[in-house]
Amino acid sequence: MTAAIVTGAAGAIGRAIARRLLEDDLAVVCVDRDAAVADVCRELGAGATPCVADLAMPEAPERVLAAAEAAGELAVLVNNAGITRDARALAMTPEDYALVIRVNLVAPLRLAEAAGPQLADGGSVVNIASRAALGNFGQANYVTAKSGLIGATRALAMRWAPRVRVNAVAPGLVDTPMTRAIPPAVYEKLVARVPAGRAGAPEEIAEAVAFLASPRSSYVTGQVLLACGGRSVAG
Amino acid sequence: MTAARGEAIAGVLVYEPPAEVGVDDLEAVLTRAFEAVRAALERGEAVVVVLDERDVQGAGDAAAAALAHGLLGLARALALEGRKPGWRIAVLAAPRELDEDERQRWVGHLAASGAASGALVRLGGEHVGRVPA
Repeated sequence: MTAAIVTGAAGAIGRAIARRLLEDDLAVVCVDRDAAVADVCRELGAGATPCVADLAMPEAPERVLAAAEAAGELAVLVNNAGITRDARALAMTPEDYALVIRVNLVAPLRLAEAAGPQLADGGSVVNIASRAALGNFGQANYVTAKSGLIGATRALAMRWAPRVRVNAVAPGLVDTPMTRAIPPAVYEKLVARVPAGRAGAPEEIAEAVAFLASPRSSYVTGQVLLACGGRSVAG
Repeated sequence: MTAARGEAIAGVLVYEPPAEVGVDDLEAVLTRAFEAVRAALERGEAVVVVLDERDVQGAGDAAAAALAHGLLGLARALALEGRKPGWRIAVLAAPRELDEDERQRWVGHLAASGAASGALVRLGGEHVGRVPA
């Protein structure tokens, strides 16, 4: 059995990614700091294994990789876990800036570095970046982290080629409980800036991830796939 | 105007990240950069972030590439937020061997131009034929 690791699997996008990779006959280790990931795995059914771990802690990769080893030969790592602590730059605390860097950039890079030697030949790493990496208001920390993750994606792709491919998916506005917490008037303004005329569904992000995780994208490495309904090219 | 690492000179902060940064250094280095750059913008200074072109390409170490792109993202985010107050922050990616006078000229151009805020200028030609950053 070949295995995949999906971090942030208790969230809407992570759960959709895990479900989609299960459809591709991968055993999926669903990682989250939230113990509710066990319920998610029960809902996903056979092939999904929970792993409760706080990826911001330096010892987390060892724990996650042990769970993956028990699940099968590691073929795919999806670094999806992430947080936001939005504020205007002048009001952003150094603590909130640092926390977002730790969770959204340092943690996935640590996990990728640890997983690299264990990934099977032909394996794939997919980092979940963001369209916001191109610039976004009130998210200096998040933009820094996601842009940094794109840089790391390129460097790791070059380092591990041709054995392992490394790519990123950069979602735009996605309809999740987190984005639905945005005030409705603001949410509608955000939707209005998307040429597709709507927010994306978690399943649409999962489909992009599944493509990059699979041999269907065997000639693609070091790239960023923007899944943002055209927002990144809109005026 | 001289490009001294992390030092503000004559109304311009020229910020160069430290060399030899590892994964475990990223959080502290980026947070210090954020605080230094924000403080300079608040003082009304222009900021030019100077990166090694190899790191922007992702041709070297992963932590160095993460740092370079993180700083690029930071500059873009602050340029966006700074449109109303008129913050000037831009990024220069230059190969290590670039002539120092040439480098200084570009730092000066970028620091002086409000229109260049948020821009990345890549020098040396190595980026041609490669994916944009």
